[in-house]
Amino acid sequence: MRRIIDWLRAPSWSPYAAGAGLGLLSIGALLFTDRLFGASGAFENMAGSLMQVFAPALADNMYWNFVMPAGFSIGVMMLIGIALGSFLSALSSGTFKLRRVSDDQWRAMFGPGVAKRWATLFFGAILIEYGAGIAGGCTSGLAISGGVQLAPAAYLFIVGMFASGIITAWLVYGKRY
Amino acid sequence: MTAMISALIVGLIFGWLLQKSKLTQYATIVNVFRFTDLAVLKFMLSAIVVGSAGIYLFKDMGLITLPGNTPTYVWGNLLGGLIFGAGMAWAGY
Repeated sequence: MRRIIDWLRAPSWSPYAAGAGLGLLSIGALLFTDRLFGASGAFENMAGSLMQVFAPALADNMYWNFVMPAGFSIGVMMLIGIALGSFLSALSSGTFKLRRVSDDQWRAMFGPGVAKRWATLFFGAILIEYGAGIAGGCTSGLAISGGVQLAPAAYLFIVGMFASGIITAWLVYGKRY
Repeated sequence: MTAMISALIVGLIFGWLLQKSKLTQYATIVNVFRFTDLAVLKFMLSAIVVGSAGIYLFKDMGLITLPGNTPTYVWGNLLGGLIFGAGMAWAGY
């Protein structure tokens, strides 16, 4: 028992073990709930809701009415779960900390400036959500949920993601790559 | 209602696993693209290997129907992935 509690409270698990755990979760999710994962879609549902309030004319089209319906979807609930789950996990190991600039590697590379980090995050996140919208999902909703079903779309997405990710990191990090 | 609660539970476990494997941190995400820390690959591929083996086993037993909500648009999937990867390497999430 002691061993299990220590393991649950450990600050990190082997990514192989955590990944295998996610694989088991995907099996359980399909067996018991008939659906898999997703995260990026939920942001689009919420954006749709915001637009219905502030710009109803813009929101009244195919995309927000049918493809990604606005509103409090099941995906939004899962997103809340994901945030809450990581929060609990950080609490369990006592590594939870409120920070304005992510981590040591960022500070070593780009300095401690808060505005710089948040601007990078903001524009990076636009690219992430826009790319996910075009591809039909994100790392969880397409790469993993599609990957476990052996869907070609997932593998095409992974190829694209790593190709441009490697090039971008190489450009951003320059000589220090 | 049940769908909402089960989605919350699945999300909770998913989030827990992401945090434990450090995929919620900037360095982990960026370093997979610099080949200095392959945790992202290890996590994703383990999930796909374990998940697909089990899912196809239960599918053949008739216990699972694939949701099949991932249509293939070769250029769309690739282009989306290219934009997504650039954002991911830049922002680190």
